[in-house]
Amino acid sequence: MFFGYLDPGSGSVILQAIVGGFAALAVTAKLWWRRVTGIFRRNRDEDPAAPEESG
Amino acid sequence: MRIEPGSFRDPDSRVLYTSDGVVRALSARGLEDWRALARTSFFPRLMEAGKVVRTEEAQANGSLEGVLRGEAAGMLRHERIPFVSYPYEWPFSMLRDAALLQLELVAAALEEGMILKDSSPYNVQFRGSRPVFVDVGSFEALREGEPWVGYRQFCMLFLYPLLLCAHEGIDYHPLLRGSLDGIPPAQAAAMLGGMRGGVLKHVKLHAKLERRYDDASQRDVKRDLKKAGFNSELIKANVKGLTKLVSGLRWEPKGSEWSAYGDTCTYTDEDSREKADFVREAAAARRRALSWDLGANDGRYARLAAEHSDTTVAVDIDHLTVDRLYRTLREEGRDDVLALVMNLADPSPGLGWRGRERKRLEERGHPDLVLALALVHHLAITANVPLAEVVDWLASLGASLVVEFPTREDPMVQRLLAGKREGTHDDYALETFERLLGDAFEVERRAELQGGVRVIFLAHPRGG
Repeated sequence: MFFGYLDPGSGSVILQAIVGGFAALAVTAKLWWRRVTGIFRRNRDEDPAAPEESG
Repeated sequence: MRIEPGSFRDPDSRVLYTSDGVVRALSARGLEDWRALARTSFFPRLMEAGKVVRTEEAQANGSLEGVLRGEAAGMLRHERIPFVSYPYEWPFSMLRDAALLQLELVAAALEEGMILKDSSPYNVQFRGSRPVFVDVGSFEALREGEPWVGYRQFCMLFLYPLLLCAHEGIDYHPLLRGSLDGIPPAQAAAMLGGMRGGVLKHVKLHAKLERRYDDASQRDVKRDLKKAGFNSELIKANVKGLTKLVSGLRWEPKGSEWSAYGDTCTYTDEDSREKADFVREAAAARRRALSWDLGANDGRYARLAAEHSDTTVAVDIDHLTVDRLYRTLREEGRDDVLALVMNLADPSPGLGWRGRERKRLEERGHPDLVLALALVHHLAITANVPLAEVVDWLASLGASLVVEFPTREDPMVQRLLAGKREGTHDDYALETFERLLGDAFEVERRAELQGGVRVIFLAHPRGG
């Protein structure tokens, strides 16, 4: 089962990493870095066989 | 056994009405969460404080087959809430108190490794002026690294309506009645201007992120969040910030059409006393389980009914008047008078899936006594409801009735008629009303107020 019976919303989930105040700074930065580098990763890894991390 | 038609969204928990009262069927997962909840220190404390509905584990009396999507593994018994109400009927301070209770529960749950799986104001009910959380099935174990799933729902159904009212003076009742899911971030962002507390983060940025990550897979986001080190401390910080934000919200408009009624109405003290005596005597005839005051204004007559009634529901169209009544009742700690905002010419309908999730006003309980004071002329003239329809509706409630009829000589009636084409309300006459009332009710008593300008009646349903 994934999350709960409600869809938490992707944008709302990302926002939660941002609104946590000081405690959230590091998480936001890491999340942002992953998202930014993710764009390049995806462009580079056009090979569909490339290993994708699973959640 | 009757399944509550508004309780189907959560596959692990469902409310039923049985000969044992209000019960909740739980799946194996739901039962596991309940047992974890029962072991916490906060749950019994909040239940004792009346903030969570009184609940105990019970044995299923008969089969629970087909109640849940899967098999039912357990059952809870709940205390019954005397009268169900909905957020599109609550004044600002009531919605705010419900929001603060929701946040208090999330904060308490987080301290002991739990959370609430949703954030719906429909999970909060009121005993008079006291909010009570009723969806015990909402508590579940928190899986570390996961976000607060109910955050978006909290914004859409609690925070945005409150911000709209407090910052912009926009009434949220039609918005919440129009959509049971609440106000989406993009809609809230379009209505809320400025950068005042919380707007930038919870509204503008929320709407922007929602648009931007519209197509992002939840699985990717969840994985990234976990890898980035998301933890329950962040949820706690968010809940703390929201609690501060909501606590600081105020709605203090300068005045409204009816908010000064008690001070400026056309009654003299003597007339008010006569009217109050009439109502008091009618109410005192016997003890009642449920009384309704329709068009309650500042609640002075609802209070008289409440002296002889277990529960009194005071309904009025004016938001500010009802908000003030609620705040006064809350200060007094009253748990027997429920103040609600509603236009009785357009009362709450059945809403949601098949029109059954949220019930019409008339489906939520059968009053034993109805007060309809200074109401008939507003329905008949302002809302153009034929007088015969007004009486037919009052009779359909099946209760003893105290009804006031302001005649055409009444200054308020003259004011209402002044805006209408001559002849539009020729049926609005005392003798027509008395004939209609006599056909539908046994009239026990009548009294003239203000030298006959208004007439008040005590009537009982025929055959009742």
